[in-house]
Amino acid sequence: MRAALRRRQEPIAFAAAGSIVLVATLLPLGVLAGELVLAGWQRGVGSLGDPAAWALLAASLRIATAVTALALLAGVPLAVLFARTDLPARRSAFVLHAFPLFLPPFLLALGWFFLLGRQGLVGSETSARLFSGVPAVVAVLALAFTPVVTSLVALALDGVDRSLEEAARVVAAPWRVTVGILLPLVAPAVALAALVVFALALTELGVPMFLRVPVYPAAVFARLGGVAYAPGEAFALVLPLVAVALAVLACERLVARRGVPTLGLAIGRPLVPLGRWRTAGALVAGLAAALAVAPIAALAARAGREGWDAVPVWVGGSVGNSLLAAGAGATIIAAVGVVLGRAIARGRPWGAALDAVAVLGFVTPAAVLGVGLIAVWNRPATRAVYGTLAIVVLGYVARYAAIGARTIAVAIAQGSPHLEEAAQAVGGSYVRRLLGIVVPVHARGVVAAWLLALVFCVRDLETTVLFYPPGRETLPVRIFTLEANGPPAVVAALALIQVVVTASILLIGVVCLGRSRRR
Amino acid sequence: MIPRIALEDVWLRQAGAEVLSGLSLDVAEGEVLAVLGPSAAGKTTALRVMLGLVAPGRGAVRLRGEVVSAGGRILRPPEERNLAVVFQDLALWPHLTVQGNLAFGLAARGVGRAEREARIAAVLGRVGLAARARRRPGELSGGERQRVAIARALVLEPDAVLLDEPLTNLDVGLRGELLGLFAELLRERRATAVYVTHDPREAARLGDRIAVLERGRIVQVGTFDALRASPATAFVRAVLEELARGTGG
Repeated sequence: MRAALRRRQEPIAFAAAGSIVLVATLLPLGVLAGELVLAGWQRGVGSLGDPAAWALLAASLRIATAVTALALLAGVPLAVLFARTDLPARRSAFVLHAFPLFLPPFLLALGWFFLLGRQGLVGSETSARLFSGVPAVVAVLALAFTPVVTSLVALALDGVDRSLEEAARVVAAPWRVTVGILLPLVAPAVALAALVVFALALTELGVPMFLRVPVYPAAVFARLGGVAYAPGEAFALVLPLVAVALAVLACERLVARRGVPTLGLAIGRPLVPLGRWRTAGALVAGLAAALAVAPIAALAARAGREGWDAVPVWVGGSVGNSLLAAGAGATIIAAVGVVLGRAIARGRPWGAALDAVAVLGFVTPAAVLGVGLIAVWNRPATRAVYGTLAIVVLGYVARYAAIGARTIAVAIAQGSPHLEEAAQAVGGSYVRRLLGIVVPVHARGVVAAWLLALVFCVRDLETTVLFYPPGRETLPVRIFTLEANGPPAVVAALALIQVVVTASILLIGVVCLGRSRRR
Repeated sequence: MIPRIALEDVWLRQAGAEVLSGLSLDVAEGEVLAVLGPSAAGKTTALRVMLGLVAPGRGAVRLRGEVVSAGGRILRPPEERNLAVVFQDLALWPHLTVQGNLAFGLAARGVGRAEREARIAAVLGRVGLAARARRRPGELSGGERQRVAIARALVLEPDAVLLDEPLTNLDVGLRGELLGLFAELLRERRATAVYVTHDPREAARLGDRIAVLERGRIVQVGTFDALRASPATAFVRAVLEELARGTGG
């Protein structure tokens, strides 16, 4: 009996982790489909016949495409600059450039508005006119999401087998090696980055709403909580978004088949000397860092003393709600990620299937996932979930489970499977191997996954804003709801608190991970 | 005559340890020098210093008499040294076909398309891979990949070919066959080559001279017969005895 149970430890653990992903992600999407057929169809299908809805979808797709193109154009060269050259202070410049990725993008829009708006620090009629409409949305989102490309491509560049690069360096100049060998080798990472940016840009709600640019997810949002309340129509409106999400997932699977981008650490790898291009390189890196810092500096300037003094009145329990929900969400995501990530790394067939579900949760526009979660949990019998922060935690798990699983899978895939196999050979059960070998050996990967999930949960607006329980709003939701009518100085101060909370989490993470590496 | 490659009192420290400790050696034009040594002797590092991938901490590297690295600096970058390399893991670029792997270096050196194709066809024909030109490395057998790697080095007609234990991890039969091919190719082109290995059989078969490297410095250089006549260290004696046992001599 005990032996039989021991043998089933792996399927049981996998079933438990899988159930969490399925309940969080697939159930809402399934129920949404059911609701559409049963209730929403009659009322909702009319809204799909409206050409305005399709025009709005086309506009959203155009914005997402433009953001992706800009992010690739800027991110790929920056990745080469940060990862492979002897640029002075490249690590600091990279950290500054990447930081906005961990903030809700509408915070950056807010910062740029305080800088360039009519009343802005350096604002004028011209700057206000330039910083408006679709171009402003595209610019802010491109600045927010370029670090996705930079980070993924830089990590992949570090992971390229050193001898492949050196064999090329012996016969060709650095630029030719970069273009002919390195970039083709990291093409899967570039493609993955493009997909992530496209998905994030398409799902973005905060920036277009702040800049008063109508986009498709905002139309769904308006039918759920806004003036145009019509849940049946919302169900129908999400249909095209589901189709887009499935298309993105299909592309991602194609990229994944070419191999998960391996992430490496550039220890002892010789860097390419920039030579006479050093000054130009430093200017580009400096500009990338300055563009990241500028909106945050504008928030600080706008908040001033007046904003900080009023913060206690306005902040409420939002910081606590954010940290509590994000902490719980990240812990569940990391725990599921250990089981799921190991299954992906070891090539278990069910691992790939559940990975696909988790990725679907990430690429599905938050409005779709939100509508699905509402359809499942907004019932009298499930008030204990829907009326509390539990629904927010569930939303985080649905949206960000892929981040935990993928991060841990990459860490495990880089290590030798022999470590675990040796433990298995001496009789270690699945649970003993997982807790005694896999987790301790890959502790850095697990901690990194937890921190990354935590930061993404803390920055989340799109998912949470659709169903946060009354009085339990998170900090990004608080800022977003105050932004329209609240005092600007207070909004700026609250935004800065978000920046400080995020920076603190990242700093603690860097210190912890740095220490564990030294050990 | 000016040596094709010369290392002069090269010192190098990496990760707190002395990897090369006053290494000096010459490779004459048309000579195949086998560098023999145990693991962690600094063989691969010496090769990387010659290639210009690592700057020596002290000492100098000369190619055809010109100082190309000295005083901790690389004065001539790798791509301007007209050397070619075959790494231990072969480092075939997985996204390029066999043809693409050979063409990359030629294109980088400004060789025109027609000449490029002619040279690639000739060298692939010589190593028996003419029919595999459109394949990617992942579609080739282990032996075929070795042939691509040596072809990729030779097609450049470099001043010298540096080979870093290219036959490790192959079975004995295939290793013997490829060793024969390498010897033929290097001889018929009168190529200058440095062949790094820890296997005395390979060193004896390919090297006109053998340089024995231990703890980052050359402890003995000479022909195989000279080494056998008076082995300078316990390592040299041990490998020669092992070779004698292995060949029945």
